[in-house]
Amino acid sequence: MRPGWGWSLLLLSGALLAATAMGETALPFGQVLKVLANQLAGAHYPLDPIDVGIVWNYRLPRALVAAACGAGLAICGVILQALLRNPLAEPYLLGISAGASTGAVLVSVLGIGGGLISLSVGSFLGALLAFTLVIVLARASRASGSAGLIILAGIASSQLFNALTAFVIARSANAEQARGILFWLMGNLSGVRWPAVALAVPVALLGLGVCWWQRRALDAFTFGADSAASLGVSVRQLQVLLMTCAALVTAVMVSLVGSIGFVGLVIPHAVRLRVGPGHGLLVPLSALAGAVFLMAADVLSRQLIKGQALPIGVITALVGAPVFAALLLHGSHRR
Amino acid sequence: MKLPAYPALALLASIATSALAAPTQYPLTVQNCGKALTFDQAPVRAVTIGQAGTELFYALGLGDRLVGTSLWFDAVKPEYAALNAKVERLANNEPSFEAVIGKRPQLVAVQFEWMVGPQGAVGTREQFHDLNIPTYLMPSDCVGKDNLKGADGTRLQAFDINTLYTSVLELAKIFDVDHRGQALVADYKARLARAAARAQASAVKAPTAVVWFSSAALATDPFVAGQQGVADYLLNAVGIRNVVTSTEEWPTVGWETLAKANPDFIVIARMERRRFPADDYQKKLAFLKSDPVTRNMDAVKHDRILIVDADALQASTRLFDGIEQLAEAREHYRP
Amino acid sequence: MNTSAPLLACHNLGLTVRGACLLQGVSLTLEPGEKLGIVGPNGSGKSTLLKLLAGIASPTQGRVELEGHDLHRLSRRDVARTLAVVQQQADTSDRLRVHDAVALGRTPWLSPMAPWRPLDEQLVHEALAAVSLEHLGNRLWHSLSGGERQRAHIARALAQQPRLLMLDEPTNHLDIRQQLALLRLINQLPVTTVIALHDLNQALTCDRLAVLDKGRLVALGVPAQVLTDECLAETFGVKGRWLQDLEDGTRALVFSPL
Repeated sequence: MRPGWGWSLLLLSGALLAATAMGETALPFGQVLKVLANQLAGAHYPLDPIDVGIVWNYRLPRALVAAACGAGLAICGVILQALLRNPLAEPYLLGISAGASTGAVLVSVLGIGGGLISLSVGSFLGALLAFTLVIVLARASRASGSAGLIILAGIASSQLFNALTAFVIARSANAEQARGILFWLMGNLSGVRWPAVALAVPVALLGLGVCWWQRRALDAFTFGADSAASLGVSVRQLQVLLMTCAALVTAVMVSLVGSIGFVGLVIPHAVRLRVGPGHGLLVPLSALAGAVFLMAADVLSRQLIKGQALPIGVITALVGAPVFAALLLHGSHRR
Repeated sequence: MKLPAYPALALLASIATSALAAPTQYPLTVQNCGKALTFDQAPVRAVTIGQAGTELFYALGLGDRLVGTSLWFDAVKPEYAALNAKVERLANNEPSFEAVIGKRPQLVAVQFEWMVGPQGAVGTREQFHDLNIPTYLMPSDCVGKDNLKGADGTRLQAFDINTLYTSVLELAKIFDVDHRGQALVADYKARLARAAARAQASAVKAPTAVVWFSSAALATDPFVAGQQGVADYLLNAVGIRNVVTSTEEWPTVGWETLAKANPDFIVIARMERRRFPADDYQKKLAFLKSDPVTRNMDAVKHDRILIVDADALQASTRLFDGIEQLAEAREHYRP
Repeated sequence: MNTSAPLLACHNLGLTVRGACLLQGVSLTLEPGEKLGIVGPNGSGKSTLLKLLAGIASPTQGRVELEGHDLHRLSRRDVARTLAVVQQQADTSDRLRVHDAVALGRTPWLSPMAPWRPLDEQLVHEALAAVSLEHLGNRLWHSLSGGERQRAHIARALAQQPRLLMLDEPTNHLDIRQQLALLRLINQLPVTTVIALHDLNQALTCDRLAVLDKGRLVALGVPAQVLTDECLAETFGVKGRWLQDLEDGTRALVFSPL
């Protein structure tokens, strides 16, 4: 794996550089390099401070958060698919993002929390609530032994939270508020700065680390939870640890950038097609692929339509929904 | 003692126009935004949806005919405070349909088509007209504007100040206070002329500006004034060019684009509403001065930030206060 | 290791779930090297007993002891290095190779930081060889037949290097040729075995039989002594006649309704 790590870092750095070089306005690539040289290597190129600010304080943190978010959501998809034994499991489909949106809307439109709670905290709490709901439903239906029910429960839960969100917006928000919230709901990285990086990157690395450490235990779930138990995995402990990890990572990411779907679904499947189901490769490569995918989606969202930024969730859904459909068809075909 | 020229002219103008004013002939039919409204007599009970309409009523001395107000952005103008205290406030934001008709109004004056219109948040015009309640839409929001495109509507042609004069004159005619309407319009025209003259007097070439209304979150892409809207009209009236090129009334434009455009002035809106943290102009100022990109903008460095009432950026009586404020800034502008 | 303690023993084992009593008062001791069969009609608690003995489920009464230690006080890893389970139904939609499925059996011997060693690879090969699947190592799991999959599951269990192997009705859903091959294989394995079986004739090859009826242990002993007329009638609801094959002396039961 040694040469593999090197290539991965190179690819990630290349993607970060590309994402930093592209944005709303056209900055010459040379300028971008000079800014980075000044900031990172102590060079002293004379530069317009606005250009420096744009590259170093707007675009670079944005690219880093997109990478961290993509990696984190992909890892959550890996965890959920392994533990729930269902290839369709991912945080968005299980309603966690929807819960986060409801939390955000309750805070910003209804003013719940009296201005003491920010949008991000509201969405964080909403995400955790939705995750708890899914876990409770998962445990309740475990007796009937169907992981497919979890997915249905998650979809029902996400519909519930989405309906709540729509209700609050329709009843209480004026057009401007509604627009602001809706844009956030579909994924918005425009307000991201270095403090967000300080939160997103460590959380993503933590999720990656925990998942990597447990890669053999995750493999042991291949034939089900009982099989994992007979292979020496403390099933309940592992489920609690990994589900909590997935909940926290998803909640943090959604609270920072809004609701972005399908990353946790598409990326692990794409990676599995290339390297197989073994988590030793699946975990780190999903993180890498997720990071690059979301950075690309972010750049695309700003460049696709001239002068207007699309929400990132639109881009990921445009890619993800057809993949989801293909997976469903492929699955039913084989049966 | 020589009379100051301008007040004298205004006095003369108002005397002249009151000579032209005439009592209203009933039944009166008014063509308003595609509907014909008929009045058999001057209404005695009116409800307003929109602060601009409300303050227009007060300016025309029709405060005693108001039985309900709604949709407020800011505190009422101090000179109308006592009068306003006697009128019931139906809602701070949009009122419900029942609340409005419950006051048994004989006229509903509406500032925005998205309040009462084909996609009206309160109701459609037909709903009111079926109950024999005429709805008067401010022409400034329907003439030359497509309210079904863009979040706040898109202007098909530039905002025409005459639509504001029309609303003053038409309302005055409906309520049989034609002479007051004429006087008010004359006063507005005089103020506009004075402001334009001050701007013309400056030999410096036209400065540029951006008008920042608010943002969903402090660091995310702001809502700024687009081309052809009311805010844009204010800028053009005093010879300032808008750096934003979108024709939406209040598009979202990224800070990167605005920073690169580097306008000479930044106009920020002051309002009482606190739905978004950025509603508070102090927070807007703090952001501009601390953000690593915006603090390097010329307007921020040279403290060319103008704080204008949110209502002055809409088609309302305060528009002229705004114009005067901008004219002053323009006059003193030195690059 | 406590050499005087039996390999596996359970005392007064019971499981009640949501008011339903699945197993009650089961006590037995496993002799090292023996092949213990668990038989009984549907719903008698065979799978439940196996799960409790393997530590996959927790009992509501009684306890299980592995080499004298309470099973639930031992870490799952330690248990997995001693005891391996082949379940009735275990399948996956993952596209993994047979070799990798068997390699999962090394999980209790690996740690997050320890890389895959040549020893592990060798043990996987030996396990595949023991079930005659060496030639299928690189094939994808879903391309295997039912019988081959069962053998692969057994290989995975063998890769755990267990001293005790538990199998839950391994011959279900297999055709007759595969059933015979599998049973022959299990008979040859040099580990202590506990096997739950449906077919009483197949159970005759076990050293001892434990007969379960409605969650209780009603008989424990050598097959010929345990499968009496009374037992067959009360527990299984059939009449049985013993036949002896004149060629090699093996005995079989022929059943008829009561």
